[in-house]
Amino acid sequence: MESKAEQKTNVLDWFIEGARKGWDISIKNMMPNIVMAFTIVQFINVLGIMDIIGTIFSPIMGIFGLPGEAITVLLSSWLAMGSGAGVAASLYAGGVLTMRHVTILMPAIYLMGAQLNYMSRCLGISNLPKKYWKWCLLVCILNAMIAMWIMNLIA
Amino acid sequence: MDENKKSLEGTNQEKKSSLGTAQKVGIGGFIALIFAVIFFSGLLSDMGNWASAFDYSTLTGNFGTMTSETATFRGNGGNGAMDGFLFSITLMPAVILALGIINILDKLGALRAAQQLLTPLMRPLMGVPGVGAFICVTGLQSSDAGAMIIKEARETGMLTEKERFILAMWLFSASGIMVNYFGSGAALFDALTVPIIVPLLVIIAGKFIGANIVRIVLNIKCKGRDISGE
Repeated sequence: MESKAEQKTNVLDWFIEGARKGWDISIKNMMPNIVMAFTIVQFINVLGIMDIIGTIFSPIMGIFGLPGEAITVLLSSWLAMGSGAGVAASLYAGGVLTMRHVTILMPAIYLMGAQLNYMSRCLGISNLPKKYWKWCLLVCILNAMIAMWIMNLIA
Repeated sequence: MDENKKSLEGTNQEKKSSLGTAQKVGIGGFIALIFAVIFFSGLLSDMGNWASAFDYSTLTGNFGTMTSETATFRGNGGNGAMDGFLFSITLMPAVILALGIINILDKLGALRAAQQLLTPLMRPLMGVPGVGAFICVTGLQSSDAGAMIIKEARETGMLTEKERFILAMWLFSASGIMVNYFGSGAALFDALTVPIIVPLLVIIAGKFIGANIVRIVLNIKCKGRDISGE
């Protein structure tokens, strides 16, 4: 009974207990997943298949009122949100994208952004079984398409 | 040598290792061996084209360098496994701190309070119990903390497998959006034809749309039963 009362009041011990769990999750769950994600990103970059994907998907961009080059924004945001925004900014500065295009792309950059990175963090840490992960990836891309369609109406 | 052989046999008996003579080697095994030799040999590392994507040291990548004053120990311009490793270390303090705090909140009953208070709101919205609101609010700032609350809530039985899927989906699309949108998104704020808040609202609406797509599909597929965790 006494030990139970002590357990109940010791906030610092609670913190340490949780922090230890945080360490375990970081090392056993997060780190291997992130190393995997970064290696896949490296693989895709070195392989140079982004350009090929870009050519294939550029007709689809037309549906959302965007030029073909816009696909590179989405593809790079898929690898990292920051680089998606960066590519969009440089295309805007170069006159390839107009303000309207950027506005249409803005929510999509984030809705399908940094999937590999967040796959390991969100889905890995929350311990969602891996067989569901592909559906999560798919729904994100669907989300991005819905958002581009909505933005096309209000931009 | 004998000892080595013995331990090999031992592991073979326990079926923990694929080494051993008893197992037949298929054609796939030989192809994998050839791949392994090429992959680790470094033969492709100097190709400088797509082929180097199949090279061990290329995928290992590089640490970033600390040339700018704003660079942390992760450095700038790193890539591959090395950069991922350091990146995960940069996230660790936040994860450890968040889980420490969450453990205190959990012990104090904050999760159960959220469960009780917010279930009437969250059920119609996303088909999840009240603790989901707590996860969503946390997840707007930090996907890692949000994901850990999901894990805790699932393990203590506050969430079913289906509810975890829905919440993980909400968290996953546009993750950590407040930090990311006002961080990297700032580069594009000047190029918007609408107020800054509008794309953000569309993003948050998108998170709910995605979660509800998962919810509807699961409801149709499983007809009220919970999905299996395995």
